[in-house]
Amino acid sequence: MSEPDIRKELLNAPVEPLLPIEKKLIGWSLGIGLVLLVVLVMINHFVPITIAG
Amino acid sequence: MSITVESGRWSSATQPAPWIDEDWLSLCIGLGIFALALGGLAGMDVLGWVVSTSVWTDPGQALGTVSKAYAGLGGAGALLVTYLALLLVLTASAAALSLDVKRFAAGFTGVFALGYASWIIGSNAHVAAVTPTDLQKFGIDWSLKLTNEGGYVVALLFGLVIANFFPRLAEWLKEAIRPELYIKIAIVILGAFLAVTAAGKLTLATSILLRGVAAIVEAYLIYWAVVYYIARRWFGFNREWAAPLASGISICGVSAAIATGGAIRARPLVPVMVSSLVVIFAVVEVLILPFLAQTFLWQEPMVAGAWMGLAIKTDGAAVAGGGITESLILAKAAAVGIHYQPGWILGVTATVKVFIDVFIGIWAFVLGYIWTNHINPTRDADKARASEIWQRFPKFIIGFVATFLVGLYLALGTSPEIAAKLPAQIAEANTFRVIFFILTFFSIGILSNFKKLWQEGIGKLAAVYLLSLFGFVIWVGLIISWLFFSGVKPPLAT
Repeated sequence: MSEPDIRKELLNAPVEPLLPIEKKLIGWSLGIGLVLLVVLVMINHFVPITIAG
Repeated sequence: MSITVESGRWSSATQPAPWIDEDWLSLCIGLGIFALALGGLAGMDVLGWVVSTSVWTDPGQALGTVSKAYAGLGGAGALLVTYLALLLVLTASAAALSLDVKRFAAGFTGVFALGYASWIIGSNAHVAAVTPTDLQKFGIDWSLKLTNEGGYVVALLFGLVIANFFPRLAEWLKEAIRPELYIKIAIVILGAFLAVTAAGKLTLATSILLRGVAAIVEAYLIYWAVVYYIARRWFGFNREWAAPLASGISICGVSAAIATGGAIRARPLVPVMVSSLVVIFAVVEVLILPFLAQTFLWQEPMVAGAWMGLAIKTDGAAVAGGGITESLILAKAAAVGIHYQPGWILGVTATVKVFIDVFIGIWAFVLGYIWTNHINPTRDADKARASEIWQRFPKFIIGFVATFLVGLYLALGTSPEIAAKLPAQIAEANTFRVIFFILTFFSIGILSNFKKLWQEGIGKLAAVYLLSLFGFVIWVGLIISWLFFSGVKPPLAT
């Protein structure tokens, strides 16, 4: 079985516009991620790492 | 030629289907070594013959057995017995994986010989000695101060040289080039080592575990979305290439690219090419980031450990990078009289990596659901199923958690006599962990044939990787590591 020429495939691939579902995936991921990070940073601030025992 | 999906390695295409995969095998081998090491708690020193290497100036003094009970074997005898034991176990594993057993045995002999030779070279005092006292002890006036774990870098460089300048030798070794198998075995054993380390400072260990959650958020929700957007909008990749690429760069390299490729029903070629790229960049990162960490983060050791886990993709390279970072930072701190307990920096790296790994299956399911229902709606039989979460779950993590919990129980929940014997027994298992690290580094180097990958048209993929990795993955990882771990120091060695 011959393998596709990847270089050509990547150069000549037709453009696929971002679908609304992809935009949602990106937007929701980033949004939830940033909110969770802020929450975790706050938890980290109020419950700092304890080094003792 | 193609790359197997298990490990991202070059392999022939005509292999019968194995009855077990590398994940389960690594779990079995790692647990087996752990169980044998625990024999010492019952008075049976089963693994004391394994070879260990000391920092040396006289080659005759370099090797020895890990336990004095087997000292009669001598260094060369210990090396030979260790090689034979590993050859036996791993050749049996190769048979279980339906590999060419003869070629594996021959290849493994070469991998072990060259890998361990690198380790011995890396343990020379001119490479490994750290403190002025060490220099005085060995009667030398200079050293690279890499500690004996500089041997990992030597093994990686050996592998790179062979891959790029001695392709026929690389081809001969290829059946035994199994970095994913080696590192997964090492990670299972690492669980026990970290348990013994954590037992002394349980509260600190718990705090570190809780902060592993931040790594999940960063890898899956932030990195992935940004890399996917860059690949789609700025570089014009289609969905089939962009999704595995985003997973490879953001999550956990090879495993994530393969899981994503399967989930969105991409052609096998796509995750395989991405995996190759992941390995190449992981090599570059391992050669650069630990030294940057030593220079700029030696006063923030835990930040450095977390950074390795977040910035370096693939389990092998990340955990190995954490090991090098630990040795470099401990060396630099020791040079100014600060002696940290070993194991904590590496522990943070491994924790971050394991937390990220755990969610690969769930993320693959989420992507699979979106792709098969909304992007490329398929017939019901082809839709993403919840059982894929378990299928994609990296099973070796079960071994890591098991050895960690059993180790912790033995250290804290048993009699003082058993707890006192435990560190020596885990040290025997840990010697195997070091050997599997060496095999991993050497194998990663062998996989990195830059010319071959470039010829196959990987340049555009590499451009996305380069931009994403050095443009934000490394730096966001550093910021988040700093936010959660700055000011936290490993306990001092007593």
